[in-house]
Amino acid sequence: MRWLLSFLFLGLLGVAQALSASGNRLLVVLEELDDKSKYSKYFGDLEGRGFQITYESPKSESVGLFTLGERAYEHLLILPSKSKGLGPNLTPKILLEFINKGGNILLTLSAITPTPTALVSLLLELDIHLPTERNALVVDHFNYDTLSASEKHDVVLLPRPDTIRPGVKNFFKGDGKGGEVIAFPRGVGQSLGNTSPLLTPVLRAPRTAYSYNPKDEAESLEDVFAAGPQLSLVTTMQARNSARFTVVGSAEMLEDGWFTGEVKRSVGMGGVGTDAKKVKTCNQAFAKEITGWAFQEIGVLKVGKIEHRLNEGVRSNITNPKIYRVKNDVEYSIELSEWSWDKWVPFTPVAEDVVQLEFSMLSPFHRLDLAASGTTTNSTVFTTSFKLPDQHGIFNFKVNYKRPFLTNVEEKNTVTVRHFAHDEYPRSWVISGAWPWIAGIAATITGWLGFVALWLWSKPVPLKLTTSGKKIQ
Amino acid sequence: MAPKRSNARESTPSTTATSQISTPAATSTPSVPVKSTPKSSSGNLSPQEVALSIWQNYLDTTPQRTKLIDVFMTFLVVVGALQFVYCVIAGNYPFNAFLSGFSATVGQFVLTASLRIQTNTENKAEFTSVSPERAFADYVFGSLILHFFCVNFIN
Repeated sequence: MRWLLSFLFLGLLGVAQALSASGNRLLVVLEELDDKSKYSKYFGDLEGRGFQITYESPKSESVGLFTLGERAYEHLLILPSKSKGLGPNLTPKILLEFINKGGNILLTLSAITPTPTALVSLLLELDIHLPTERNALVVDHFNYDTLSASEKHDVVLLPRPDTIRPGVKNFFKGDGKGGEVIAFPRGVGQSLGNTSPLLTPVLRAPRTAYSYNPKDEAESLEDVFAAGPQLSLVTTMQARNSARFTVVGSAEMLEDGWFTGEVKRSVGMGGVGTDAKKVKTCNQAFAKEITGWAFQEIGVLKVGKIEHRLNEGVRSNITNPKIYRVKNDVEYSIELSEWSWDKWVPFTPVAEDVVQLEFSMLSPFHRLDLAASGTTTNSTVFTTSFKLPDQHGIFNFKVNYKRPFLTNVEEKNTVTVRHFAHDEYPRSWVISGAWPWIAGIAATITGWLGFVALWLWSKPVPLKLTTSGKKIQ
Repeated sequence: MAPKRSNARESTPSTTATSQISTPAATSTPSVPVKSTPKSSSGNLSPQEVALSIWQNYLDTTPQRTKLIDVFMTFLVVVGALQFVYCVIAGNYPFNAFLSGFSATVGQFVLTASLRIQTNTENKAEFTSVSPERAFADYVFGSLILHFFCVNFIN
């Protein structure tokens, strides 16, 4: 019996490990619990990855993100609901507090059910702007799906997103072969404020897309909310505590129909896709990547051992001493691991990126690239050696590594840097520049000795004549 | 070796000085009429003659020990100037070495100047309570302290 129990325990442990880096409790907020079946494949994927899902309606009394002041869930998935708000238990304030306490939120929008004003104001607070028309959706007359939206052009087809800029890891490109198509049906585009460094768009609309209000009867659009790549279709925000907030513009793209559906693209700009064939969407894979990122299954960094030591010719065996002397040669190393779906793997920055070490007192005296010097089974060791500055005081070894899509690493180790002790300076004769002055002292002293000897040897000669006429000695 | 040589030059001042006294005196006496003839007996002396007569006067009236002091001070000025010029040309990298080397020379110069003042027979009235022996003992004591400091400071 006991061995059975222990096997059960081991099995549970195995299940418990195959999850997000932060935990596996997921709350799904959806209005009609019957709607669950629409997303059955999506939820099946989540459960397959080890999430423990609780479904709640926003109207229910029991829904609550906190119990006794602690987070009751690590992750929150909000699906569109028709009601104006999400009720008293899911106000923007509570959602923000959830983020502040490290919870991750995946918010989905839909053009069919207008976004509740409570969520609009939450998004505004994060500098994510939604179109003012509540039914606005993203249309594209060049990149739409001819099978399902030949009239309305509101199913936008997009390729996998590129890296937003060089030096940023792209978690969302799949196997990177290209040719894959993401269907974005009836979604809401967001425009992002310029000021927030925490916001990163994952999926931007194609050049020819724009936000359009179907209720608008006018023939021509005059006041477009946003167009082209201004429109972010999937937006991420990583707070300073590394909690993640993700907005997916179209909840429909997570539905079973679009996971397996086939699409055929329209003729695009410059005749692209004239001979397009029916292809299967890659929504399922893309949804896995987006959800995995949002719920901290990928892109989570962990700092392992940090070591710094004296390395003057021979490496000192004393690690992390409290005190160094100015101009000491010092070696610093830090272990970094990255969580990849279900395990810690050695972290490698992308080609254009590098982890840096700052040696700083108020401002950095050194900012050095850390080079990977070795790997363990689940971490990379980054090392650098340098000479401490000629400045005594309280210094920090600081690794401040904050990149889009990766959790923030900010490690500070404080050391004292003392000045030379009086007997640690090089002796004067060691420095060849001092030799002339040593010779000067030697000349002065020998001259003085000679002078004294002569003085003592010479007899005072009384002079007969003095100007004052006095008698001498 | 430089001080040795200068001392050696000066170690026979009694003999050389007397000979020098005799020779410049011998040359100067004829030089006066030589110079005066083109000057048409205006009584004005050329700068060269003024310098010469000052030098002659110095040689005649200065006690031998004071001359010894003057030679040593000249030597110190030369050594100090060399150190300073080196510092200006080559830079002051071990600055403490420059400071101690230069200040050893300057300090020695100051101390020697004090000795010269105190032992000068002209100033006898000023230093009634300080005998030349006492002044010399003070000088040796002060110099030793100075050397100790400078050797320490150059590290």
